[in-house]
Amino acid sequence: MTSSPETENHGANGGIQSGRYYGQGIPYLPLDSYPGKLIAIEGTDGVGRSTQIQLLREWLEVKGYGVIETGWTRSELMQPTIELAKSSNTLNKLTFVLLYATDFADRLEKEIIPALKAGFVVLSDRYIFTALARAGVRGTDRAWLRSLYGFAIAPHLVFYLNVDVKTLIGRVLESRGMDYWESGMDMKHGDDIYDSFRAYQNKLLREYSSMADEFHFSVVDARRSVDHIQDELRKQVSAFLEPAEKQPEPALMR
Amino acid sequence: MTFSLLHATDFADRLLYKIIPPLKAGMIVLADRYAYTAFARDATRGVDRQWVRDLYSFGVKPDLGLYFRVPIEVSLDRLMARRVKLKFYEAGMDLGWSANPVESFRLFQGKVLEEYDRLVDEFGLEVIDARTSITEQQRLVRKVIAQHVQTSGVETIDDELA
Repeated sequence: MTSSPETENHGANGGIQSGRYYGQGIPYLPLDSYPGKLIAIEGTDGVGRSTQIQLLREWLEVKGYGVIETGWTRSELMQPTIELAKSSNTLNKLTFVLLYATDFADRLEKEIIPALKAGFVVLSDRYIFTALARAGVRGTDRAWLRSLYGFAIAPHLVFYLNVDVKTLIGRVLESRGMDYWESGMDMKHGDDIYDSFRAYQNKLLREYSSMADEFHFSVVDARRSVDHIQDELRKQVSAFLEPAEKQPEPALMR
Repeated sequence: MTFSLLHATDFADRLLYKIIPPLKAGMIVLADRYAYTAFARDATRGVDRQWVRDLYSFGVKPDLGLYFRVPIEVSLDRLMARRVKLKFYEAGMDLGWSANPVESFRLFQGKVLEEYDRLVDEFGLEVIDARTSITEQQRLVRKVIAQHVQTSGVETIDDELA
């Protein structure tokens, strides 16, 4: 992702402008050129997204930006339903995909679009790419998935925190351990959670990588220290936000 | 959008548990409403028509689709005759077109009926005139079904698609 003024509007997905819908969008919510910016932080489970987002948020707020965070399955409407469905054994890959999409639609309409309208920087902990990757490795038709998420907005920046499975395993085991879904136990790679985690996360990482060009990910090496990663994120975020903010600044100085 | 996606999720669940298994077993599945309801209702709520069709492309195309058509006033009279209160979403109250439930129902369901009319051609639905008596309708339905389906030697199950 480049950040020069001439290219700043040509973010993701081959010709789709950042801040616009990928596909048909939501016809009853047409998007004008809203002042807010949408920044997505993507990466697999345990890669350190939330730490980076927390640091980015503080830094942006100190600089005077209004910031909101949104994250996968956090919608008020859907969170209880998704938790309930995950804890029973009735979910299949199709209903799983659709529940995630419903959650995302709710947050898009109720959180993301209003915040963009009001000029906030929206930090999204995961975006549709997580859904595309998870469903993709489970064999859901990729063209159908892309059409389903045609109502999503192309972010202004997508950071992909890239890590190798070995490093990931170390981190996850040091912190909270492996869980059923993050280990892809539903995919029946076997009874051993360690082997399943490795096989599943390997597939997920490949799936994410395959989307890097398609959706113009800015790939960040997440094997480095928290501070190193944060520095790189800040550098890219300021390069992107600052040109856009040049106009109001002199007025504020006076 | 969430209204549309929640119904699609419900549909996917029914499809995989209640529709596909009996079809595999060679049974006849009678679906009270199908994806067409979503096409009509979601389009009326302003969701993109093509997007909804793509969304439901995981569904099984029915061997036969029957559309029971009534004018809006007949539908309203029938509903008012048997229940006092129109349901919030059925009357399209979420759209804020009218604060009066009956008027909102007339506006919303009127648009829904227009959408159904599009679907008749697009999906080759068999139209049944639902103003006529139940007996007359049933005779017609049986005739149409007999033309389409070989019914001897199959069992039926009932599953309502809300």
